[in-house]
Amino acid sequence: MESADDLFEGIVMCEERYHGEGYEEGFAEGNHVGETEGKQYGALYGARAGSELGCYLGFASTWRLLLSPNTDEKQSKKIKTLDSLIKMIQSFPTDDPTNDKLQDELSRIRGKVKQLCSMLNIQPDFRMNYDNSGLSF
Amino acid sequence: MLIIFSLSPQTRPSMKDSLTLLSRLSAHPDSRCWFLAWNPTGTLLASCGGDKTIRIWGKEGDTWVCKSVLGEGHQRTVRKVAWSPCGNYLASASFDATTCIWMKKNNDFECITTLEGHENEVKSVAWAPSGSLLATCSRDKSVWVWEVDEEEEYECVSVLNSHTQDVKHVVWHPNQELLASASYDDTVKLYHEEEDDWVCCATLEGHTSTVWSLAFDQSGEQLASCSDDKTMRIWRRMASGEEQGKKDPTWKCICTLSGYHTRTIYDVNWSHLTGAIATACGDDAIRIFEEDAGSDVMQPTFSLTAHMPRAHSQDVNCVAWHPKEPGLLASCSDDGEMAFWQYQRPE
Repeated sequence: MESADDLFEGIVMCEERYHGEGYEEGFAEGNHVGETEGKQYGALYGARAGSELGCYLGFASTWRLLLSPNTDEKQSKKIKTLDSLIKMIQSFPTDDPTNDKLQDELSRIRGKVKQLCSMLNIQPDFRMNYDNSGLSF
Repeated sequence: MLIIFSLSPQTRPSMKDSLTLLSRLSAHPDSRCWFLAWNPTGTLLASCGGDKTIRIWGKEGDTWVCKSVLGEGHQRTVRKVAWSPCGNYLASASFDATTCIWMKKNNDFECITTLEGHENEVKSVAWAPSGSLLATCSRDKSVWVWEVDEEEEYECVSVLNSHTQDVKHVVWHPNQELLASASYDDTVKLYHEEEDDWVCCATLEGHTSTVWSLAFDQSGEQLASCSDDKTMRIWRRMASGEEQGKKDPTWKCICTLSGYHTRTIYDVNWSHLTGAIATACGDDAIRIFEEDAGSDVMQPTFSLTAHMPRAHSQDVNCVAWHPKEPGLLASCSDDGEMAFWQYQRPE
C-alpha cells in the first residue's frame, strides 16, 4: 500500500515539484544575469563618474599651478576656491559606491566647477553630463 | 451691463470695496508684463516684459508716466527685475540666460555689467539686504550667489544645485543673509553661508505642485509661499532647540490657505507696513488676506479681506506693495497692463 501511495504521490505532486524546481533554477539564473547586468551598469556609471571627477581634478590642478600666489585678493580668492574644489574631489567617497551622499557630493562638485569657470572667466570645453536630467520646462 | 449704485452712508468699507482701482495703463503693449519692482523709496516703479524691455515709471501729479525704456540689454523676455537696497542699481533677469546690472545716472540707466553663467533662462534675481550679495536662479535648476565689491565687480561665490527642477523664484530674508528659493520640484529651499561656502540648510515640503513665489513678512520670522496647487502656505521659523538635536533652525508650515483661489497662484507679496498679504492668480483676480486679530502665533488664521475678480483681463503675474505708502498696491498681467490699487482694511 505504501509503495502505491508513493507512486501516486509522485504523479500527483510532479507538477508542483517541477514548478518548484523551475522556480529555483530560474531564480538562480535571474540572479546571475541581474548581477552581471548590475556589474556592467555599475562599471559604466562608475567609469563615467570617475572620468568626470578626474577631468575636474586635472582642470583644477592645472589652474592651481598657473595662478601665482601672493598677488592680489582676487587671485587668492580663486586659489582658495580651487583648493576647496581639489579637497572636495579628493575626499569624494570613490571606494564606497553605496554611500548615499554620493549624488549630493557630485552635484556640489559640479556647482564648484561652474563657480570656478565663472570666476576664471572661461567657457569650459568639457560638457557636464547630468544623470538625473528629467523633463523640464 | 447692470450698474448698481450703492448709496449706503457707511464710511468703513466692506470687503466689496476694500480694494479700489486708482489707475490702469498699458505698460508693455502687445506683450506680457511679467514683474514689477518698487525702488526702496517708492518714487520709481520698474516693470519688465515679453517685449525684452524694462520700463521705469514715475508719478507726475496723479498719473504714472514712463520715465525711461531700457531696451538694449536683453535678447529675450525679461522675467524679473530687482532694485538694490540703496536704490542706485537695478538687476534684470532674462530668458537670454543673462542678468544685467543697470546703474542709475541722473534720470537714465546704463548697463554696467552682464552676469553670465546660467545654462539657460534666468527666472529670478534678488538683492540681499546688505546690497553686497545678489542671487539668481534658472531653468538649469541652479541658484547662484554673487558678491559685489567696491569696484562694482561681480564674482560668483556659490552655485547651488539643490533643486531637482527649474527654480522659479529667489528671495532674501529682510535682515539676515538667508536666501530662499522656490521650484518646479514643489519645494522651497533655504540657504545660508557655512564655513566659507553656501549650503542648503532647510527644505520646505508640502506643496503638491510648482511653487511660484515667496515673500517674507517684515520680521523675517514667517515666509509665505504660493503654488500651482492653488494654495498659499505660511511657514514659521522654529528657534533652534525647540526641535531637539537640530543645529539649523527648522521651518514649519503653520497655515495652509486653500479654497480661495481657482487657478495657479503666481505671486505673493507680504506688506512690511500693514502685514496684509496680496496674491496674484491665474484666474485674473487679486486677493488680499490678513491675519485675524488674536489668532494663535503657532496656528494663525487668516481671512480674505479683499477679492477683486477680473482685476486684469488675463493672468495676474505680479503684485507689489508700495514700500512707503500703506495700502498702495501695483499689479501687472499677461494682458500687458499694469494697475494701481488702494487697499483699506474692511471692518
